[in-house]
Amino acid sequence: MKELIKIYFEFFKIGAVTFGGGQAMLPIIQRELVTNLHWITIKNFLYFVSIAQVTPGPIAVNMATFIGYNMKGFWGAIIATFGVASPSFAIIVLIASVMHNLSKTAVYKAFISGVKPVIIALLISAIYLIVRGSFHSAVPFILAAIAFVVFVKFKINAFLLLIGMGVIGIFLIK
Amino acid sequence: MKSSKKPKKLIRLLKLAGIFFYIGLFTLGGGYAMVPLMKQEIVEKRKLLDADTFYEIFAISQVTPGPIAVNMATFIGYKESGILGSVFTTTGVVLPSLIIIILISLYFTDAVKNIFVHRFFMGVLTGVVAEIAYLTLDVWKRSNVDTFYVIVFVLSLIEIFVIKLNPIYVILIGGALGVIFKTKEYMNERTH
Repeated sequence: MKELIKIYFEFFKIGAVTFGGGQAMLPIIQRELVTNLHWITIKNFLYFVSIAQVTPGPIAVNMATFIGYNMKGFWGAIIATFGVASPSFAIIVLIASVMHNLSKTAVYKAFISGVKPVIIALLISAIYLIVRGSFHSAVPFILAAIAFVVFVKFKINAFLLLIGMGVIGIFLIK
Repeated sequence: MKSSKKPKKLIRLLKLAGIFFYIGLFTLGGGYAMVPLMKQEIVEKRKLLDADTFYEIFAISQVTPGPIAVNMATFIGYKESGILGSVFTTTGVVLPSLIIIILISLYFTDAVKNIFVHRFFMGVLTGVVAEIAYLTLDVWKRSNVDTFYVIVFVLSLIEIFVIKLNPIYVILIGGALGVIFKTKEYMNERTH
């Protein structure tokens, strides 16, 4: 029980200080859980990362589930996942509850108008990170271009596109 | 009367959870990759939100800590059905990963390291890049692109790629510039 509470708070902390999604969480998990607390070995950590990236769902949630399960079985997984999601949950509910009044204010509108161009830059950087990390020949670039045209022109289901590209990848990407 | 209202609300909540379970289950490639599918489901198919509100939630979900997909699920759930709604959507979006990771821990630990799985996933990433590229263009098209917008955009690119600033600071700088240079404009808009 005591260990479960510890797991909860550790993941709560990680969830609270991570901005910018799952990828940003990985170095923090490594520092806290591998280097400082020795909850998991670096070998296991890297193994978890490799799996968390190829399974469905947010990487941060996958990592929390994995590490929690590794430490304390089923309940460890539940508690860790719950812990990593609770700070965002609390903050978002708070924002959403004042949103109705907030969204009418000039300051809020001005803030959002300044954030919007940043989002474009962040999306470009997300593309750049995937391309730099995983596109090692001309083939993936061509496939991505084809996928883009198919997605925009035919508006096919986003998931079907990913599965389709995955199957093509098995045959074409070395 | 009251008794017939309750199951209706529960059905609505379960439906919301179901939508987000579907989104959580069918997202490969991390949080950003979840956004295009979420937009298809929430905006285009079920018309729960319009595109502008959706992108606003997308923006706020990056200013707040935590996984973007979880933030968006919580937010949309709250907008649809209050705090209970956000409990159901957040649970829905997290549940598939929870089940799948526990199953992997139990059974097929090494199947995911297979070379075909690797190639499959590399293929998936080409699709993820295509979908994020679409998302980028869609956000751009829906924006009121003026000089301010372009300056903040270029500045953000420099902060990300040259100075290598943490994304949260890039967002906060953009927001602060917005407050400094745009508040007056929005205040005038209201008086007209």
